[in-house]
Amino acid sequence: MKTIKSITELKFTYLFLPVLFLFSGCDRDDFQKLEERNWQLVWSDEFEGTAGSLPDSGKWAFDLGTGEDGWGNQELQRYTNNPENVSLDGNGNLVITAMRDGNSFTSARIKTQGHFSQQYGRFEARMKTPYGPGLWPAFWLLGDNIDTVGWPQCGEIDIMELRGQQPHIIHGSVHGPGYSGGNPVSSSYTLVNGRFDADYHVFAIEWNADKIDFFVDEFLYQRITPEDVPGEWVFNQPFFIILNVAVGGNYVGFPIDQTPFPQRMIIDYVRVYQEID
Amino acid sequence: MKTYKYIRISQLLAASIIFAFFLGCERDITDLEEASYPTNPEVFINGFSPGLNYAAFGGSVPTAFDVDNQVTYSDQSTASMRFEVPDAGDPRGSFAGGVFYTDGGRDLSGYNALTFWAKATQSTTIGEVGFGNDLGENRFVVSIQGLNVTTGWKKYIIPIPDPSRLKAERGLFWYAAGNIDGKGFTFWIDEVKYEKLGTIAHPQFAIQNGENQEETSFIGASTAVGGLTSKFNMPSGIYQPINIAPAYFEFTSSDTSIATVDETGKVNVTGGPGSAEITAKVGDTDANGSLTIQSLGEFDLPPVPIHDPENVISIFSDHYENVPVDYYNGYWEPWQTTQSADFVVNGDHILHYFDFNFVGIEFSSPTVDATEMTHMHIDIFLPNQLNANAQFQIELVNFAEPDNITGVNTTHISVDQSQQWISLDIPLDEFTGLTNKSNLAQIIFVDGGDNIPSFFANNIYFYKDDNGEPPPPEDEPETPAPTPTHPADKVLAIFSDAYQAVPANFFADWGQSTIVSIVQIDGVNTLKYENLNYQGIELESSQDISDMEYLHVDFWTANSSELNVFLISPGPVEQSYSLTVPTTGWSSIDIPLSMFEPVDMNDVFQLMFTGNGDIFIDNIYFHKN
Repeated sequence: MKTIKSITELKFTYLFLPVLFLFSGCDRDDFQKLEERNWQLVWSDEFEGTAGSLPDSGKWAFDLGTGEDGWGNQELQRYTNNPENVSLDGNGNLVITAMRDGNSFTSARIKTQGHFSQQYGRFEARMKTPYGPGLWPAFWLLGDNIDTVGWPQCGEIDIMELRGQQPHIIHGSVHGPGYSGGNPVSSSYTLVNGRFDADYHVFAIEWNADKIDFFVDEFLYQRITPEDVPGEWVFNQPFFIILNVAVGGNYVGFPIDQTPFPQRMIIDYVRVYQEID
Repeated sequence: MKTYKYIRISQLLAASIIFAFFLGCERDITDLEEASYPTNPEVFINGFSPGLNYAAFGGSVPTAFDVDNQVTYSDQSTASMRFEVPDAGDPRGSFAGGVFYTDGGRDLSGYNALTFWAKATQSTTIGEVGFGNDLGENRFVVSIQGLNVTTGWKKYIIPIPDPSRLKAERGLFWYAAGNIDGKGFTFWIDEVKYEKLGTIAHPQFAIQNGENQEETSFIGASTAVGGLTSKFNMPSGIYQPINIAPAYFEFTSSDTSIATVDETGKVNVTGGPGSAEITAKVGDTDANGSLTIQSLGEFDLPPVPIHDPENVISIFSDHYENVPVDYYNGYWEPWQTTQSADFVVNGDHILHYFDFNFVGIEFSSPTVDATEMTHMHIDIFLPNQLNANAQFQIELVNFAEPDNITGVNTTHISVDQSQQWISLDIPLDEFTGLTNKSNLAQIIFVDGGDNIPSFFANNIYFYKDDNGEPPPPEDEPETPAPTPTHPADKVLAIFSDAYQAVPANFFADWGQSTIVSIVQIDGVNTLKYENLNYQGIELESSQDISDMEYLHVDFWTANSSELNVFLISPGPVEQSYSLTVPTTGWSSIDIPLSMFEPVDMNDVFQLMFTGNGDIFIDNIYFHKN
């Protein structure tokens, strides 16, 4: 895929012409008027590299094993750093593969913790999700101070979560003290006649001191402000990025016999921007 | 589902108005390639869509289907389709089933699924629901088998495997439903239409059930690509198996000089030695699995059996009438690995067992009383190179109470006997332990040395031989042809010890493969044609036989299935006459010469015999009364 300039200036201009009004009824919303912003790319991984190689160790670290209590959610998978679970495909994508072996599952979870974190800005990834009951892919952020203050005090921003039994719905959420676990501040985005595993989609947040906006394919479907959370707003500090495919767990339920395996999350890129004046 | 009772429902709706209601959120399909057939996606919305007819399947209850104006899937729907599945024993028919079709076709290539809403009076299973049944070829028939429905309305989706195939489809919807545990039920279907859905994805197709399989074969053999499967991932993330017709698959052979494959998946082996891999696609999607044909090249059939049918009880042979056989491979679980891939070479059926460990043939209804029989015959062929001498074990099972009686015989096969036919004639008293053979019901083959990966079998039968040995082939008449009785002055002889014959060359070399000899049978010269294809007789000078009335020939053959005699005059002008073969003893025939028109009877200079097998001929002469 493309060559990357280390700093690219990207400009997103949300100019929807009034003609959009004519597509009434069937479109999700009539009109989105968003303030113009200038975004400057500060960090990205385009996942260029040889097929079968692990993701760039200068950018990503692994979470390995089964975590405590299935990573806090009774998830079934064991995370590995085996190329069969996580590797570049040679076509500019990172592939995280969840596999079944009888009643046990392996998968992968990678994070930028220790390598990169940022407060505010635009975080986006272009990807295709896995599918099937019990699959739980996610693109999310955790507060950099998790090791000192713990979860949920560190805060969590879920840019994209999906339940494999509903491959047409993604969810965007924030967790913090008093609104975590099964009780986040959350909203979902549904494809009317499509699936997130069938084609690539871009999932993004735009985050500043006042709000976190959630986007699918540049469509703003949720805005969360400090007034919307029933507890402390813990989103004024750097967060790091996580990509993973979980199997089973409280959020998604168990995989069933008919759940197809292996299942792949294919990530074209992850990009992080800062707003410039 | 071959015969249909024809019911025409003349219920036309102002479909254009309805369509306008739905147009709002439907994908605009008018931009698609211009089609010669209507692209109307609707089958049954609030009634029959334009051009739609209904025909009930033969044997079904003809009135099972009706339009229901009370029960519909939503407030907006004013009619649904109601189907009443009969109880067991209903005199009107044993099931509910029929086809909704159009006289002209529809272009459905812009859609990727048939959708409908359904519910039933109870949670139950509808036997089969689909489309592509056009009351004709059913080329592109698709169905879901065992559609589970509940008492609440639910939307169902049947994907189209390759929409580009459905440019003129007449079969828009069909169903077949039988009772459950003897009890009928009622179900409703509503809002039947074709859609372009983004919520179904990741189709998977397979041949050979998704496995890469190999088959050893020969020139002239044919086989078929099997294990055609299809599944689509549904909006729930779960795969739904779909039955699809072979015509959706596009088969390819990697080397058509070795094997060709037609659009139905039939494979013909055309060359070899060599290999050809058969693969398939559906639309743009590669099917999983493959069938690799390993052609060994030319294939010889085993020797034709020689035993008198009167003394044979045949289990598997094209040369005898076989007794009823339950199966030639019982797929006995759980230990049997043996698979079957039987094939046909030049019309001769061959059993082919592979992944061989053991396999059983059963003929239990009725069982075989082999008390009078002395031997078992079988021809086997081991197509793989043997890595060591093999033990081919045959077990005969005599059904009995309380325990079956099994006799075992083992044939040792040396390494150099592979890849050729081996004819076994095993005395039944060499099946150790077979104390009773009055109730034989199974033949079991066992790979005794565990080194025979596969084998072919043919001509499996029991026979009676009083000498304990196979009888010598009856390849020669025991007595000469009967001595002719026609007066010599009314005869013009070509070949006969009884008359003065005109000079002739009986060994004419016309490039034939026939081996000619003149043999003596009890001192009588007799013409012998071995392995006949054709054979001429050249008269030293041409003969005027216009005053003669008949051609007489005596002939004898045990193995020929075709024999013709020709008269030939210059030109050549020739005409044949077919003789009935094989014979029982000597056959004598007097053929009116009028049968040989338009041969010039003033000027006959050659005779010829054509056909096959081994023939003895005597007393070839013309005569008149």
